Amino acid sequence: MADWVWSNVVVALLLMGTGGVVFYARRSRMWTETFSDLWRRRRFAVLVIGFYVLVALLDSVAWVGGMDQGEDTVARYEAQSILDRLFAGSQERSYSAPFADVEFYGGAPLTHPGAHILGTDLIGRDVLYLSLKGARVALLIGGLTSLLAIPLALLFGISAGYFGGRIDDVVFFVMSTLASMPGLLLLIALIMVLGKSTVAVCFALAITGWVGFCRVVRGETFKLRELEYVSAARALGVSEFGIIVRHILPNLMHLVIITFVLMFSGLVLSEAILSWLGIGVDGSWGQMIDQARNELSRDPIVWWNIVSAGLALFGLILAVNFVGDALRDTLDPRTLRETE
Amino acid sequence: MKSLAKRFSKRALFLFVLLVLACTNNPYPDADSDKKILYRSYVEAPRTLDPAVAYTTNAHAITGEVYDTLLEYHYLKRPYELIPALAAALPEVMTLNDGWTSYRFEMRKGLLYQNDPCFELDGPGHLTREVVMEDVAFELMRLADPEVNSPIVEPMSNIQGFQDFSARLMARREADPAFSEQPLPLQYAEVGPIEGAKVEGRYTLTLRVSTEYPQILYWFAMPFTAPVPWEAVEYYDGDEGRPSFSDHPVGAGPYVLSEYDKQSRFVLEANPNWYGVLHPEWKAPAATYPSEGAPGDFEAGRLDPEMVGQPLPFIERIEFSREKESIPLFNKFLQGYYDAAGVIKESFDKVIHEGGLSDSMEESGISLEKSVQPSIFYIGFNMDDATVGSEGGERSRKLRQAMSLVVDTDEYTRLFSNGRGVSAQSPLPPGLFGYDPEYVNPYRLIDLERARELLAEAGYPDGIDPETGRPLELTFDTQDTSAQGRLRFEFFTRAWRQLGINVKIEATNYNQFQEKVRNGAYQLFMWGWIADYPDPENFLFLLSSEMSRSVSDGPNTANFQNPEYDELYLEMKGLPNGPRRQEVIGEMLGILEEERPWIELTHSEAYSLFHKWLKNVKTMGMSTPMTKYRDLDHGLRAQKREAWNRPVLWPIYVGSALVVALVIPGIFTFMRERQ
Repeated sequence: MADWVWSNVVVALLLMGTGGVVFYARRSRMWTETFSDLWRRRRFAVLVIGFYVLVALLDSVAWVGGMDQGEDTVARYEAQSILDRLFAGSQERSYSAPFADVEFYGGAPLTHPGAHILGTDLIGRDVLYLSLKGARVALLIGGLTSLLAIPLALLFGISAGYFGGRIDDVVFFVMSTLASMPGLLLLIALIMVLGKSTVAVCFALAITGWVGFCRVVRGETFKLRELEYVSAARALGVSEFGIIVRHILPNLMHLVIITFVLMFSGLVLSEAILSWLGIGVDGSWGQMIDQARNELSRDPIVWWNIVSAGLALFGLILAVNFVGDALRDTLDPRTLRETE
Repeated sequence: MKSLAKRFSKRALFLFVLLVLACTNNPYPDADSDKKILYRSYVEAPRTLDPAVAYTTNAHAITGEVYDTLLEYHYLKRPYELIPALAAALPEVMTLNDGWTSYRFEMRKGLLYQNDPCFELDGPGHLTREVVMEDVAFELMRLADPEVNSPIVEPMSNIQGFQDFSARLMARREADPAFSEQPLPLQYAEVGPIEGAKVEGRYTLTLRVSTEYPQILYWFAMPFTAPVPWEAVEYYDGDEGRPSFSDHPVGAGPYVLSEYDKQSRFVLEANPNWYGVLHPEWKAPAATYPSEGAPGDFEAGRLDPEMVGQPLPFIERIEFSREKESIPLFNKFLQGYYDAAGVIKESFDKVIHEGGLSDSMEESGISLEKSVQPSIFYIGFNMDDATVGSEGGERSRKLRQAMSLVVDTDEYTRLFSNGRGVSAQSPLPPGLFGYDPEYVNPYRLIDLERARELLAEAGYPDGIDPETGRPLELTFDTQDTSAQGRLRFEFFTRAWRQLGINVKIEATNYNQFQEKVRNGAYQLFMWGWIADYPDPENFLFLLSSEMSRSVSDGPNTANFQNPEYDELYLEMKGLPNGPRRQEVIGEMLGILEEERPWIELTHSEAYSLFHKWLKNVKTMGMSTPMTKYRDLDHGLRAQKREAWNRPVLWPIYVGSALVVALVIPGIFTFMRERQ
């Protein structure tokens, strides 16, 4: 089966999974109240995130054929996403300013005068198109890395916190070792070893990013395992695995949600830094910023590439942080106590 | 108290006004304004100034001025032409029967080294001594000495007995540790001379060089082979407060390094012992301003009758100041504090307009000098690859030809080098023998239709690989992982996508890329070459079989192996510049044109800016400094500097008034409250 079919299947599964989670959450009073509170307090941020998700979906659903690719005959055999189809044939030769009719240097007429809302880059690609395509990469980096890091942190954190003893010693030793290494250098070394693919970058970010959350989970589990209902379950002969799955894990979910949201923005920013260092992911906003690094010192200045990528990055991070803060206010018992 | 405050404020105001009026942005002493001093800049100090080792442009900017060579390039003529410098004439060449060629150099008599304390080793009070051929032989032995670690051992090994001397020296050092403790001249004398470098009397050197390498002469126009006094090597050992020889050059060139602070400043002063100064009556070709040049030199003012035949050098001092950042450097150039500068990419569009200077620059009296460097940048095909290489025969050849026909080099230089660079039609850059400005490579034209036809003839109609039924997939391997690099490679892959060929960019780090090259696991790559000397051999050897990466780990990364080309190459290598050599080069280029192991991209072009007061400027392309030919009008420079740097004082007055208006009442209030 072709790659693009798999990609569409994954998108479909993700959508179904999200639908399932929403359906499950609607049955829980706590989650319903949490999300209605979030919607009430951070409506605009939620809408912004929704927009990014929509754009990412438009760039994820792809198929082959059904469009004229002009001179690019290879593209006829490649899966094109909805976003690719919307911007097909928007290519120019080189830089053009937003809404310009002519090239920025030299003044040659454009193929699509006035059509490039955010201008075009050095090799004539539409900057709006590139900025929108960056959303998928950002969500992939943030989402996939969190999906790798959080289970890892939960596994080690709960094991250490619940069982203690030697297991705790080993986990704590691993955490301390990783925490003592300079994060960025470790990240660069891992990417050098693993390669520069999207999955490799996510994996490297996950390896360096799970420690902080693991420490929180470990501490929280220490507390939970001493509570009466856990002791009662143990006295009733419930297995350790059963206690963890039924009593410990559900009580950590608010932490998972908060961490996921806050970790997400950190990861997107980390990828931008990696791209700046030349080891990021193709098509990311970080790569756009890196490609445009000399443009601000040009004379006359080319500003639209870096500004567009920077604003796209800023918009997502800000919205996610707003939502993350709101979720923490709602879900974190400590902040609840403070607000009460 | 009130009067004290009043007196204090008056004094402060007086001092402030005095400071403002005394303020100037001139970084040089006023006394220097009426001297012929050339102001230049550098970013990083050279690692070494040892002429046997230094191989960078910034090092040659010093060693090239301090060490004079037996030969040098004619300042104005193009193609490049060798002229005698310390040598009395070009060497006598004699082809011997046994595969060797003899070169007999005669040195001018009465040449002196610069004054230097190291000559005290010859006797108390000695400040200099005569330059003799033994000094050239000594330097050749230093090149062969493995402990010196010279980068040009490989080409110099064409001298008979060069490697043998090296082996003898090492064997002796290993066998007898006490031998290594002796001074170098004694060590070399004990081991015996290089067999093919025979000194007769004080002024004659006969070299026996492999007949296959007549290009050896070019190395005698570079500081590597300059005469070096053994006294300097011995004396400057880094002990007892003396600098090491790598930081203290002692030569017989037109300038002397008089100040060398790696962190901030170098100063070169005209050498009073230089033969051009001591013996202007000799009218030596390398010590007199030339009377002949290349087309355009007269119009550019480089053959001014007042200048022609004048003794060199014109400039009395060269001062290098350290400038780590390009923008301040360029601003100081615009203020007149540097005499020359490159065009920084940040201001390229402000400075250059349609290939020439912008109006604002011309109004300032700045001139632009463009020079094509003896270099070539190209996309190579791995000829050992089954799809794009020789194995595929006609199919692969047509594929390479088709791919070559869609790469628009003019557009590439426009986008990525601000238009700097000459589109290459063959490996040979302009200025070299064998370069034909009329030659147009039919496969370097942009012809999409022809490319598609060729691709169909190659068995890939519309780029479809019959084996897969999908677009032909190739890889473009690169060691450039940067985002900007990716744009560059996407430019090429987009061109090939028009043919239906899907070329994927495989960007890896340097080590991984080298690993791929070692294993032959690559299809397309991008590479460049900058010549050591201006001879077509130095470019055409890049495609000879013996230099093939897969055979000898040589620089022929395309692994192009063609017996006919090799035969012609060997013939061309040994021929003097002339019609037969031109013919052979034409045949070689014909093979490359048809076989397409490379898609030739550009010969890089340097843009240099000069102020109007700097005269006789002609860039060499290679790292061969020629400051002795330049002249400058220091009076005009002083005038322009003054005009361009008049302090704009009104913002200071306004600012001062504001400060006074705000601070003085504050002081009074403060004092009143204290009372």
